[in-house]
Amino acid sequence: MEKGVNMRSMWPLLTGSLLCAASVFGAPPAKVALEGGRIIPVVGDDISKGTVLIEHGKITAVGKHVEVPYDAMVVDVSGKVIFPGMIDTHSARGMDIRNENLPVTPFLDVYDALDPSRLYFEDALRDGITSIHAIVANNCVIGSLSRVIHPIGLTPDEMTLQAPVALKLSVAPKRRSDRMVQMATLRETFLELADYLENLAETKYEESLEKEDKKIDVGPEEARKRGKPLIKFEDYDDAHRNLIKLTRGELGAFIYCGIAGDVGRAVKLAKDNGFFGRSTLVLGDACFKAVSEIKEAGRPVVLDPDLLYRERDPITGDIKETFIPKVFADAGVAFSLLPYPNNSLAERYLNYQAARCVRNGVDRKTALESITINPAKALGVGDRIGSIEVGKVANLVVFSGDPLDFESWVDMVYINGIRAYERKDDVRLKQLFGDEPAEVTEGEAPEDEKKKGAEADDKPADDADGKGEAPAETPSDKANETGTDG
Amino acid sequence: MNNPHNSHRLALRVAAIATLFVVAPQTSAETIVIKSAQVHTGTGAVVQDGMVVITDGSITAVGANLSVPAGATVIDVQGGSVTPGLIDANAAIEASDLMITPKRTASSVLHDVFCVKHSDKPIAGCCGSMCSRALQHVDGEDCRECGFPNTAPNLAVGVRRHGSLAEQSSEVIPHTRVIDSVNLRSPDFERLLSGGVTTVFVSADPAAVLTSQGAIVRTGGPMADRIVREADAVKAVMGSDPFLRGPRNTRPFRQYVDFHARRPTTRMGVTWVFRKALYDTQRHGQGLPVGGADTPSVPAMKTLSKMLTGEVPLRIQARMQRDILSALRLAKEFDLRFVLEEGTEAHRCTDELRAADVPVIYGPMYITPAGYRNSTELDGARLHTMRALVDAGIETALTANDLRDEDGLARQAMYALRHGVPLDAVMRSITQTPAKLLRVDDRVGTLEPGKQADVVVWSDGPFEATSKPLVVLINGRIVLDKRTG
Repeated sequence: MEKGVNMRSMWPLLTGSLLCAASVFGAPPAKVALEGGRIIPVVGDDISKGTVLIEHGKITAVGKHVEVPYDAMVVDVSGKVIFPGMIDTHSARGMDIRNENLPVTPFLDVYDALDPSRLYFEDALRDGITSIHAIVANNCVIGSLSRVIHPIGLTPDEMTLQAPVALKLSVAPKRRSDRMVQMATLRETFLELADYLENLAETKYEESLEKEDKKIDVGPEEARKRGKPLIKFEDYDDAHRNLIKLTRGELGAFIYCGIAGDVGRAVKLAKDNGFFGRSTLVLGDACFKAVSEIKEAGRPVVLDPDLLYRERDPITGDIKETFIPKVFADAGVAFSLLPYPNNSLAERYLNYQAARCVRNGVDRKTALESITINPAKALGVGDRIGSIEVGKVANLVVFSGDPLDFESWVDMVYINGIRAYERKDDVRLKQLFGDEPAEVTEGEAPEDEKKKGAEADDKPADDADGKGEAPAETPSDKANETGTDG
Repeated sequence: MNNPHNSHRLALRVAAIATLFVVAPQTSAETIVIKSAQVHTGTGAVVQDGMVVITDGSITAVGANLSVPAGATVIDVQGGSVTPGLIDANAAIEASDLMITPKRTASSVLHDVFCVKHSDKPIAGCCGSMCSRALQHVDGEDCRECGFPNTAPNLAVGVRRHGSLAEQSSEVIPHTRVIDSVNLRSPDFERLLSGGVTTVFVSADPAAVLTSQGAIVRTGGPMADRIVREADAVKAVMGSDPFLRGPRNTRPFRQYVDFHARRPTTRMGVTWVFRKALYDTQRHGQGLPVGGADTPSVPAMKTLSKMLTGEVPLRIQARMQRDILSALRLAKEFDLRFVLEEGTEAHRCTDELRAADVPVIYGPMYITPAGYRNSTELDGARLHTMRALVDAGIETALTANDLRDEDGLARQAMYALRHGVPLDAVMRSITQTPAKLLRVDDRVGTLEPGKQADVVVWSDGPFEATSKPLVVLINGRIVLDKRTG
């Protein structure tokens, strides 16, 4: 029993070693070839028994017949499926707090809130998510700067793939607010921004005259006009800098709409202030009712993780169910899916969310796109991640079977060409499967625990899944190494 | 859905009148033939490119290469599969009409009471926050819309739904019957049906130690045929459920336990209530006087004496290892046969369960370690429990209890497959085995000639993530048809 307790206290160490496997084992091989698996590149046709070649973190060759360099590390993945790393398009789970109390905070950056030691990142690897859009939640008016990160790395800098990506806005009311106040605050923010720019121009003109010991000689209108070209980017203060970038189209905007009526307001806000061309709509589940409006806007959309919308007729009491992605697929709107952790065992997996789409009549290609390339495009990194193509970052998931089959497990995850996760070393998962850690079977282990260990070893038919991999050595070795490191 | 129902009901009424005069009302001999690439018979066997022939509500033939009788209605879903109607041997049915989605937090209770999901009017969410989506408050997560921190932990203990089947008048109430509370028109049955579940054992909520007798009902079909057995097994509860306070126990919000609502407060107390009830029953049967604070009522003792003779079956809900062992001890003490419900930590006592020959209705599997049930009873939840039970040769049924949709019975089977249980064992655990445990295996549970035609036609392999029930038949009648989208 005591042993068990000891082991439990060691989990953080063990899993920590899982996270920083790369740093523990030194520099990763520069060239890796994944051979013999079925490749689902998402963009283009599937390749059976193909090879993906990774060189220096990038995919350099994909196909049936790839010449593998002599110095490449060859990984046999025959019988498995190579899939692009999946992307969580909207997540605040890697941060210490989901939203600020202040309503308007464009001067903040999620960089300061990211906590690389969060278990969430370990879970992401386990679920085959290789890129996460770290962004504040929806309880805001104007949130903070977001970034695309990888779930490995010891600092936010190491994790970052792209930053900044977007500014978060919400047209649905912040808590203890209402829609009128919300919209008024948004309008006011941008009016104040215009005001600020004019005042700044005037000040700049005044300053330029002061340098020549002159006094202001023109009216305020003219002064502002003359001062405008004098403003440099460094002159903008923190409170306005990101908003200015936003209105110039230098930043993306993720706009949350809570209900169908919010969509029109979001589009108008974006058009009025010049960031429509860079905006992405984050939709609450009732927003599918505005699907024609959304289609007309033509912007990328992120769907609510709760894919089934249920409403009850207040008079008859009848319940009507709508499967949201089907509505968008039928309308021809490209969408991104989100995982729904804590709702059920299955919905935390993006590939399961895609499988649900297929179950409800969305075609397979659209479903697979909605967890890979669509999110990448929405995040503005469609040229770097989201599919298996030459030149892209080597973010790959090796499934034990088809990604839409729930019996498939994530066997391996490659991020930047580095093997970031391997199921046979997943200590926590093994523990949930009842595998006793190695130490317990040694020496003075109590009788019943010994028996259990023996049972675990006896269990047949797991080897195909890699579950039955000898549990003994790996965890303890890792624990020792981490121990010496620390 | 409604129109065919009504006509069925009318037809049934006519038939019922007809029975007054004729012994067997032979209505038009309708024959339905279901063709499929895979026919899972429920015994674990699979017939490839098989066929199920149904005549007059009963299965008359199952197999490959059968000839289609003339004039038969053919249901053929290409690439799909066929299974018996699924059976949930431990279903918790929403008893109130408020049900939309059973969720797992305190706020959902408030939600169920106060609002309908996504009503435009803001409602009181956790701790009185005004949020239009209180339903979205999930354990351990702040509200996704309003960011309100999830800070109402104690309320969440053991909460399933409001409007529950938890009678509170005493700790020993085996004479009450769940069927009196069940609303057969509850939308919950429709949801079960659309998940392929055709027969359920409606289980009382675990709020009392010896609680109500459950009922076996069908999820669809003509109302008159819905109730299979009005009063079935008595449910006993081990563990913390009977003594934990919560909205389920109909205690007023945030009130403390007082003298007027004194209940057992530990596992010792729970076990004592059980023991004392049976002891009193035995004494009462011998004509000896009974008394004391927890003496069961006479009707309760009447039911319990039937339970002691085995006339009324017993099932015991226990999650943790110690509670399972308590249940085994009590059963031995009073020489009782029982079925174990839930069995979250059953993998830790497979030897004991096998030695006592106790069948298990395992489940549901849900997010671990946090969940909507009492979290202290959940810590031991493991992914391989079902596999351990099956490997140990223990008769195991799988249940989804109060969970639906992505946690429903078909999905529970999907989880079991993912976690290493072989397909034939999974199939049996939601068809043949529960039918046997409910003693309805002479009528349902498998696709065999002579059985009632409760059949589900799936769009893909039965428990694939991409599969859903397309057609559901109960008694040979189509009660759900989603073939046209």
